[in-house]
Amino acid sequence: MAWTWFHRLGSPPYVYGLAVRLTPWFAWSAALCIVAGCFGGLVLAPADYQQGDDFRIIYVHAPSAWMSLMVYTTMAISAAVGLIWRIKVCHAVAAACAPIGASFTLEALVTGSLWGYRMWGTYWEWDPRLTSELILFFLYLGYMGLRSSIDDAQRADRASAVLAVVGVVNVPIIHFSVMWWNSLHQAPSVMQLAAPTMPASMLTPLLLMLLGFTLMFAALLLVRLRGEILSRERSANWIREAVAS
Amino acid sequence: MSEFLNMGGYAVYVWSSYGLCAIVIAWNIIGARRLLARSREEARRKLAMRGEEA
Amino acid sequence: MSTSATSVIEIPGNGTSALEAARLTLARDIRLAFRKRGQLVQPLAFFAIVTTLFPLGISPELSRLRDVAPGVLWVAALLSSLLALEFLFRDDAQDGTLEQHVLSGQSLTWLLFAKTVAHWLLTGLPLAVMAPLAALSLGVPVAAVGGIVASVAIGSVALSLIGSVGAALTLGVKRSGALLSLLTLPLSMPVLIFGARATELAIKGEGFAPPLYLLGALAVLGITLAPLAAAAAVRISLE
Repeated sequence: MAWTWFHRLGSPPYVYGLAVRLTPWFAWSAALCIVAGCFGGLVLAPADYQQGDDFRIIYVHAPSAWMSLMVYTTMAISAAVGLIWRIKVCHAVAAACAPIGASFTLEALVTGSLWGYRMWGTYWEWDPRLTSELILFFLYLGYMGLRSSIDDAQRADRASAVLAVVGVVNVPIIHFSVMWWNSLHQAPSVMQLAAPTMPASMLTPLLLMLLGFTLMFAALLLVRLRGEILSRERSANWIREAVAS
Repeated sequence: MSEFLNMGGYAVYVWSSYGLCAIVIAWNIIGARRLLARSREEARRKLAMRGEEA
Repeated sequence: MSTSATSVIEIPGNGTSALEAARLTLARDIRLAFRKRGQLVQPLAFFAIVTTLFPLGISPELSRLRDVAPGVLWVAALLSSLLALEFLFRDDAQDGTLEQHVLSGQSLTWLLFAKTVAHWLLTGLPLAVMAPLAALSLGVPVAAVGGIVASVAIGSVALSLIGSVGAALTLGVKRSGALLSLLTLPLSMPVLIFGARATELAIKGEGFAPPLYLLGALAVLGITLAPLAAAAAVRISLE
């Protein structure tokens, strides 16, 4: 039973139809969570005794950072599956992920540096987590650059899939080495708000925002996926109905 | 209300962050919809071309 | 054209074992490279020039240069190895030898590993020999030379392997220099971090074994995984 479900996920028309039906659910629930999270984070949560109202940036910074990693992992896994089992839909998923992930990585970098300004007095310090995010941003740029430089669509899919897999293997290595490098030099590190010590009024909006961003990623992915699937299906008859409206 | 907007003196940082977040989300939504519209247009064109040949 | 004259005879066919084929490829690559000795010198000259840029840009005072020496040496090494990647697959891709390798039925992974080893012997190892000279010019004490040679020798293994994947991915792309850097440099940053740290400790006269072991671990990881990824990438690029 599970196997037929998996098989159907490899079929472009099935996935396309699924995407059309599921997008509104993800989109609206995401909007709900994000609005509630923002309200909770900006209004209801008490000011942090150390950082004052500045800490409220966490409610956009942390979800963005979470997005940057989650999207890259999704991209790499679907690229690997597409490469090994030669499933076009998976390559479409990977292609759809990249711009989403890159934009939220940039968001995480900028909000991180805005948050750090208060503590550092400058807009950038080589904080280990921000440095790792920066390198992740370069990995996204490389992936998108490779894709756009190969003309043949199928070759672009497969070459960038190899790159995504190589990248995802390197992400933990890069993260470890940056943490190691930073610990040697005792550079000031920001963002020490630890989740376990947060009161519920602070933690709940954060969890809502994390959930909301994840749901939003699903919605965005499904819309982009439809576009990517269409561009890969040249002579299929099912497209006729899909684009008729 | 003005205290809320002031964010304890960190207004610039907090509101720029949320503002940027809104911009990135909007960019993603618009980008996704444009990609879909472009792909649909492309597919329609190709179907029309094949329809003429057949 | 003349450089590929011997290639038709030397591509190992189905009768040869993978290891033998790899050995033959290694020997062939080294022999061919020595016909164009001028090309081998270019990355080293680049390394020397880049190292010279920093004193000119910062200060002639050796005490200041000694402080930045680890970073300068390793950034220069990274950039020269990037330049040297040109020579890894380009000639073989252009004259069709790489396609012959893919079609020969031999293990492409082993063949590419052999090519990367040859590449390291021709570019990475000489870099490890040159690095101490550059270091001395930056005010580094003579006692640090051993540590510098060791770290650059091991680090350049990792760099050649990481670079081979990037070079394989960009085989079909024209003017791929900037793209190749974009792909390879982020993946090479751990090598830079550990290598520079090892160099820094060597300069201070402290034990530099821990980062050296980490460099070794990266090199081993590269040896096991990079040729596989490169082989997949070559197949994709040539299809």
